[in-house]
Amino acid sequence: MTADATATDPDLSLLGPGSMLHGYCHEVRWGMAVVRATVLEAAHPQIGAALVENSTFVAHPWRRVFNTLGSVQRILDADPEVRDREADRLNRMHHRISGTDEHGRSYSAMDPDARAWVVASLFESTVELNRMSGLSMNGPAMERLYAEFRAFLSVLEGDADHLPATSAEFWPYFDDMIVRGLENTEAMRIILFELFGRMPAPPLLRGHPAFWAASRVMAGPVIAEFLKASLPDALRRRAGLGETPGSQILARGVYLGTGVASRLLPPAWTRTDTVVGLLDPTRADGPGGQLLTTLRRQQARAAALLRLLTPLASERSASEGSAARSAERFFAEVLDQTGDGYVSWPDLAAMAREVASRLDLDADAEERLFDAFAAWWRELASALDADRDGRVSREEYAGAASSLASPALVAVAEVLFDTADTDGDQTISAEEYKALFRTAFPRTPPAPRDGAAHDATPAGAGVRNGDASYSRSRFIREFLDFMAGRRASAGYDSLLSQP
Amino acid sequence: MSAPLHVACVMDGNGRWAEQRHLPRTAGHRAAESAVIDVIEASRTAGVRWLSLYAFSTENWRRPDDEIDFLMGLVRRTLRKHALSMCARGIRCRFLGVSDPRIPVGLARDMADLMELTRDNSGMTLTIAFDHGGRRDIVEAARALIRERVPADEVDERSFAAHLPCPDTPDVDLVIRTSGEQRISNFMLWQVAYAEWVFPEMLWPDFRAEHFLECLRAYRKRERRFGDVRSPTPMVKGSR
Repeated sequence: MTADATATDPDLSLLGPGSMLHGYCHEVRWGMAVVRATVLEAAHPQIGAALVENSTFVAHPWRRVFNTLGSVQRILDADPEVRDREADRLNRMHHRISGTDEHGRSYSAMDPDARAWVVASLFESTVELNRMSGLSMNGPAMERLYAEFRAFLSVLEGDADHLPATSAEFWPYFDDMIVRGLENTEAMRIILFELFGRMPAPPLLRGHPAFWAASRVMAGPVIAEFLKASLPDALRRRAGLGETPGSQILARGVYLGTGVASRLLPPAWTRTDTVVGLLDPTRADGPGGQLLTTLRRQQARAAALLRLLTPLASERSASEGSAARSAERFFAEVLDQTGDGYVSWPDLAAMAREVASRLDLDADAEERLFDAFAAWWRELASALDADRDGRVSREEYAGAASSLASPALVAVAEVLFDTADTDGDQTISAEEYKALFRTAFPRTPPAPRDGAAHDATPAGAGVRNGDASYSRSRFIREFLDFMAGRRASAGYDSLLSQP
Repeated sequence: MSAPLHVACVMDGNGRWAEQRHLPRTAGHRAAESAVIDVIEASRTAGVRWLSLYAFSTENWRRPDDEIDFLMGLVRRTLRKHALSMCARGIRCRFLGVSDPRIPVGLARDMADLMELTRDNSGMTLTIAFDHGGRRDIVEAARALIRERVPADEVDERSFAAHLPCPDTPDVDLVIRTSGEQRISNFMLWQVAYAEWVFPEMLWPDFRAEHFLECLRAYRKRERRFGDVRSPTPMVKGSR
């Protein structure tokens, strides 16, 4: 944007634990800014197309939110190595996302203008969050925050030349983008009109479909209305989004309320880690969970209380119910990662992506993993895609599900084993297992009395004394059993079918 | 007269209680809940600092599968129902044992949650022996000592006790075993070494606060006699 690039080179030391951004991403209310920014991003034609075609956020919104958060926190890590590693990983991931949208226009997740817009919309939404909460940022604070966001972009891009150099130049750029750059995209409509109406339950409430459905019916429309009302006027007009009477007041009220809440409540309650840990108990000790011990204790206790007070789920909840599941359910819960009713390459790529980020793979291992999944996809397509439309429908899958346990899938299992076996001793130790599945080893009961039900072991349950490890053949057998839909598994479910 | 520091109950007789009423055994377990709650409240108000309840032994796994499944569900529901009131009364809850993989994961999680929730409470400590075996605890302690390579000379009663599970538990002063059965049944073997035992004939589902207080009175009487050197009374029979 500016001719003199060196003068505006962002200072990477702005990032890190002392930064404003670091503070925001540990505050729960920043989540509202992130959601709003996501709508603005989705209205960008390139990003919107990539989201619709590749993203898993409709079918697995929670996983996506938690992963994104972890990613941002790693980029803000004090250690430059952690930061650069995460940036490389994100770039590799985005590099794989490209294609052609429904109008025949090509898109790429590496497009520098689109990536600048992602950062721009996050910055604007953060400023807006503060303004609406009744605490407008002063000039220097805004300037500092903007510099941090530019630094953030340059961690990914290598430079921040696609964003204006100063926050004063930013606002004309932003207004211009709203008027000329954005469109009423399908992705934006999905977020505004569908996502909150069919949001799957977070892991904590998965066993309570009725409770979740009831809360969603009440909260969904309100959230969507709030989101619409908080968008810039110009975009609302351009996208033809009507305005419900009172929605502006609602939006203001929500912002003010959260602002007040974060000032009045104990800090531990409004921290992102606390909330993530509550919603998804398996992540409570994951990355980003490094709280002071006292905070941890409070958090653990609040979580314990909440779990004890949550009404008991019906006996056959997702992971404790019958081990076998129908091909239909397996299709919806595991295979169809993008939730569009079809399995195609983006679905399998999403699985590979999830595994790669869980294990924090380096470039080579990630490449092998993606290759294995790609080979599996080619095999699936040739075996199951009866009408040759480049994707496998639910019916096509149900008609030939048994052929899933194919050589290419065995190859996937092999690569998975190799990448999970970090010390290369040909067995998966308890730690390696936990890194992959975020859950302890399955416990094998001595008696075969309903053994399958006890295979589902959440984190925190005991590991059999000492000798616990997985051989290659057992690992592959279980993976094939799971992928053939013959058997549910707490581990693979946490990895692939979590919402 | 002060109350015993540590009281333990072997909650026996649920099955017989149900059989007497021509009900399924599970009905007896269900009826046991109110006795448990009554005893917890009674011991708290009587000033007992440590209360231990024998809920499920390592040998109980031999029972029919149906009964075990029912018991696990019942314990889970009861635990959740009373979790908040335990916390509010300042009771610290702990589970002793709980290592068998057959324990349903949901129950194990709830137990861990209840312990976490009440761990800093300073009122009475309630220890629930679940999937507990006294010998196993002793074996565990021996293992821990060997693993730490403690030299044989340094192992004494005190250091051994420190390696038992829940090592801060004091010796049991009084054990109440209902239903008239007079056995130890592998219960907290190390901790009951010097305990007084009373064996009320009553079945556990009928056991109430007043019976509990009666047992405490019996314990006190015995202690008084114990100190009387002129007429040492042999302690053979229970309180009734």
